[in-house]
Amino acid sequence: MSALHSYLLLIRWNALRMKGFLPLAIVVQALFAFGIVVGYPLLFPELDPRTVLFLATGAPAITLITMGLVATPQMVAQARTEGSYEYMRSLPVPRILHLLADLTVWLVIVLPGVAFAILLGTWRFSLDLQVSPLIIPALALTTLTAASIGYAIASVLPPMAANMMSQVLVVFVLMFSPLNFPPDRLPGWLTGIHAVLPVQAMGEVLRGTLAPASFPLPAGAFLLLGAWALGSFGVAWRVMERRG
Amino acid sequence: MLLEIDGLVKTYRKGARANDGISLAVAAGEVYGLLGHNGAGKTTMVNQVVGLLRPDSGTITIDGRDVIADPGFARRACSIQPQATLPINGLTPAQAVEMIGRLRGGRADDVRRRRDGLFEALDIGEWAGTDGARLSGGVRRLVGFAMAAVAPGRLVILDEPTNDVDPVRRRLLWAQVRALGDEGAAVLLVTHNVVEAERAVDRLAILDHGRVIATGTPAQLKERVADDLRLELVLEPGAALPELPPFVLRDVGSGQRHLATVAASAAAAAVGWAAAAKLDGTFEEYRLGPATLEDVYLELVGRPDALSNGNGVPAPDPATSLEDARVRAA
Repeated sequence: MSALHSYLLLIRWNALRMKGFLPLAIVVQALFAFGIVVGYPLLFPELDPRTVLFLATGAPAITLITMGLVATPQMVAQARTEGSYEYMRSLPVPRILHLLADLTVWLVIVLPGVAFAILLGTWRFSLDLQVSPLIIPALALTTLTAASIGYAIASVLPPMAANMMSQVLVVFVLMFSPLNFPPDRLPGWLTGIHAVLPVQAMGEVLRGTLAPASFPLPAGAFLLLGAWALGSFGVAWRVMERRG
Repeated sequence: MLLEIDGLVKTYRKGARANDGISLAVAAGEVYGLLGHNGAGKTTMVNQVVGLLRPDSGTITIDGRDVIADPGFARRACSIQPQATLPINGLTPAQAVEMIGRLRGGRADDVRRRRDGLFEALDIGEWAGTDGARLSGGVRRLVGFAMAAVAPGRLVILDEPTNDVDPVRRRLLWAQVRALGDEGAAVLLVTHNVVEAERAVDRLAILDHGRVIATGTPAQLKERVADDLRLELVLEPGAALPELPPFVLRDVGSGQRHLATVAASAAAAAVGWAAAAKLDGTFEEYRLGPATLEDVYLELVGRPDALSNGNGVPAPDPATSLEDARVRAA
């Protein structure tokens, strides 16, 4: 059987397995977006246009990153605990196809929530965004990178540790990452760290494509994200191929 | 031999030696039982055969091919029903079995025909379209079997296939296990249910602490206890086990249920003793019958916790009881 055929069958398998999760994913992302777009402004006495743009464009980035870093490790950890991870590995299918199919389905699951986050931000702040077509690769790359990192964490760490690790990362992403505010507000050492981590780059590619008139779109951010996506994909794949 | 395992050793990182020099061989068309208590190393062995674990030493070949060097070949050659019931929430049994059959390389119409045949043979057709989340454990286990059997490998590995399955469908399942062998597959059946395995397997190996301690056909293994009878005793609630007479060679069990072994020559004395104890209210029930594979197993492994069901209570078995009744009548 061809690899493409196997890939499509695995997509169907995953889609059916996860269809019950789709409404939950949309609700969770909607709540996140709501919290950022409606809740965060309460922290500011008055909102200047630049702060508003940061909030509106940061919301989709935060929903995507938290979904990738939290929900993916939890699902992989659950699959490992209940035995379906091992079972799928025992099928005569190249294991990279399992990963590709998982990520494909994941992409489809998170997209409605992201669309909602973008619409909510533009509606709440009455923005007129001139969205660039590059939003599509930006969204895809952000989703795949976040999900691949989550996958790699859950592949390397034992299930309990993976769940805890993902919680820690979410706090870092929500509180200490320049997604809802410009990076120059961070202390210097943290700026240095964010220069190599993918979080800031995710914010930059989404901001730069959602509001290209107001934010630059650095090519380096795409490259950095690509490197993280490939690296974490490679780790997850390697673990999947490994024999204990 | 289709599957040949020689000198297999696997030690886990924490130091437990799960497989300690296992050697066995399974021919095509044969149903081969792998018996052992919880933690005897059965699942570890299976996971090495299908390439999920790497042995420390030893060899595994399938059809003469080294599957430690080529785990991809092992995955094509083996279909497996894992010990943990696979959750198929969101999928119906019909979808799950069909997709696994096609992922295993079966043609769509062949897979569907075979799936429908299996569902009918296992009498689970009424759930074919039910979401996996709403299936009982037993039906899920049968679906797991169908997933392994729908496009079977040349080696089919079944790890505790009858757990949670009701007695009627267990018999249907055993017939299908037998059919896999008759159609030419080598079937490696992992179980701790000795009583059922006795009737289903052609040959078997008994594993204890990662080692093979006996192999042979059920009849060959039973020769070890050919001169013995088994005396099952059930105490009245609250009654204490009386001192056992000297003709009791061995007693395992605990609480209310005991399984004693007596020499065949002492059959009359054993019945007399047990009947008297029943009359005076010590025993609620007793049963004398020929020694079974379970008795061989207990003699070899020698622990009450090794009994079937894993909870220290011998599984009640209608067929064995009938057999015993015939012996009693005779």
